Amino acid sequence: MKRAIFILLALAVITSGVFAGGQKEKGKIKLIYMTAGDVNMLALGQNVFAPQFQKKYPNISLVTIQTGAGNAGSQRIYEKILADSRSNKKEWDVDVAMVHQIFMKWAMEKNLLLKYAESLDTWKYVTSPFAKTSLGVNIEGYAMPMFHSQTALAYNPDYVKNPPKSYKELQEWVKKNPGKFGYNGIKGGMSGVSFTVGWVYAKTGKYKKYAVTGPFEKSEVASWESAFKDLKEFNKYVTFTAGNVGTLDALNRGEIWMGPVWVDMFFTFMNEGKLDPKTRLVLPTPGMPGQPMYFVIPRKAAHADAAKKFVEFATSPAIQAKDIVEKFNWYPGIDGSYLKDYVPKATYDKIYRDVTPKDLAEKGLAFPLADYFNAILESYEKWIK
Amino acid sequence: MFADARKRRGFIFPPYVFLLFPAVLFMLLIYAYPFISSVIRSFINKNGALSFDNYIKSWDLYLKDILFTFSITIFNTLASGTIAVLLSVYFRLHDSVISRFLINLYRLPIFIPFVVVAQMMNGFLAPHGLLNIALAQLKLIDLNNPLQLFNFIGLSFGFIWKLAPFTILIIYGGFQMIDNSYIEAARSSGARRLNLIIRILIPMNKPSIMVALVLIYSQIVGTFTLPYMLIGGKIPTTITVDIAHRVNYFMDFGVANALGVFSYILVFVTAIYYLKTKAREVK
Repeated sequence: MKRAIFILLALAVITSGVFAGGQKEKGKIKLIYMTAGDVNMLALGQNVFAPQFQKKYPNISLVTIQTGAGNAGSQRIYEKILADSRSNKKEWDVDVAMVHQIFMKWAMEKNLLLKYAESLDTWKYVTSPFAKTSLGVNIEGYAMPMFHSQTALAYNPDYVKNPPKSYKELQEWVKKNPGKFGYNGIKGGMSGVSFTVGWVYAKTGKYKKYAVTGPFEKSEVASWESAFKDLKEFNKYVTFTAGNVGTLDALNRGEIWMGPVWVDMFFTFMNEGKLDPKTRLVLPTPGMPGQPMYFVIPRKAAHADAAKKFVEFATSPAIQAKDIVEKFNWYPGIDGSYLKDYVPKATYDKIYRDVTPKDLAEKGLAFPLADYFNAILESYEKWIK
Repeated sequence: MFADARKRRGFIFPPYVFLLFPAVLFMLLIYAYPFISSVIRSFINKNGALSFDNYIKSWDLYLKDILFTFSITIFNTLASGTIAVLLSVYFRLHDSVISRFLINLYRLPIFIPFVVVAQMMNGFLAPHGLLNIALAQLKLIDLNNPLQLFNFIGLSFGFIWKLAPFTILIIYGGFQMIDNSYIEAARSSGARRLNLIIRILIPMNKPSIMVALVLIYSQIVGTFTLPYMLIGGKIPTTITVDIAHRVNYFMDFGVANALGVFSYILVFVTAIYYLKTKAREVK
């Protein structure tokens, strides 16, 4: 075992040497693209973006490196770029990266990023407020949203004829249907976290302060006691599922009738035949959070120009329509109205059937500012144990 | 001249000690350094000062999880151990088509990684999973009110399924070392089967049984995937899930390290026992 680890280490050292050498190869540019997220993000980079991008720019080859799901994946990228910045190298290893919202806070604090987005041809298509601030941090110009993913409640219409339209109605609904609402708590994946954040927004009515304007105040956190006591009571009528996928599986097996899901996973499961096509979505008032993922370029990226070309390519209406919306079932990073010419009507209608663009605009909320976000998660652990 | 100097001090540094250098350095770098630094960092709070903050928070938020981890570990170690001893005894004393078939079959779970086991258990133990549907077909349960197994019971089932075979591997190996003459002597002195097992086989094989228990005990404390994928979002959950939660959502390595220290304490007692028996064997 120990020997195996040693051999692995040795291999890692050797390959990284080859890798670094390869970058200096003349003529052809090797664009290092690091992406956070699950294996689907690797597939997107390797199998979808790379062939098309390399066809368009034959002298650039795209190397996709995937770092893992959730914020932990973004953290790997942050650590890598931070290490680059501390190495005093003239050129950093990572050329372009795909990251979560929290990354922007970390990276902006350490001044790791290039202000590039405004110089792109596709900047004019970006209208989302998520491109201006991320968890309360001003990021305008430093990040291009590639897609937006949203959480919503999925339900089985065979059992649920009139789905609850708000968190308040849901609270009544679970009492009448104990065990039929399922979510994954806060340690089993982001769909459960998102549901919990929505709960706090609903109970306090202070979305604006927590997610947009701030400031962070400790007295707010103290005022959540009753909200979490209610959630504790709510949890008594709830089935806990095994993760984001667990909720979808439980819906499909008929174990639960309703539960919070990521909309893109919902449609992907449906397309792959892993979820009953009858299953519907509803976005309860006052809304649930969603999040974009961003393209960023490190401040001293070795191939910043090639990286800009790549981001421009990935945020162009054609790619956004064909790959981001149709293939991966995300909401586009750029304004949806620019996609109408590129997306078949059936796809457009499917994605916007239950959660309309109007719903998204009104009830597609942001995750709270980092301090409030941490406080919400910790309050959950404090009050519900 | 140098030899004289050494002699005068009465200390001779044998050159072969240098041969130990790579191995010791490797151990220090890969095992000792992270271990020690994690203990040290567990006492450093967010402002970089020495304090018990991380422990207070761990105690405050995760005491239930620490106790849960402890009970899961104890229960599954004993359960896997008991099952393993019974099956090993059976394999040792019975030579039949069935026992030979089982001897070949039982090793299978050893080669299946925990993450795959977790995914299997997810499908098998779910409220409308394979097990419940099978039981419902047999009219033993009502599918509208199925067995809920994403909890202590289901988690234990997963652990035992995966770890009992590994335990058998070690314990059965020990039993095979016991010469038949002992068993025959006991039998001819009139020992019945139960006596034979309790007074001859198990005492003679005690070292390998204890080593097997120690090894699976520390494996259970450290396993992340199985509890995460079965009961990740539930309360209580295991320490490993909490560590991942602290790191992923808060980048809070302080509390994560403090939780780590709790798990070191859990395995510490058994680790000492293991080292002691190993040292005795060497002597």
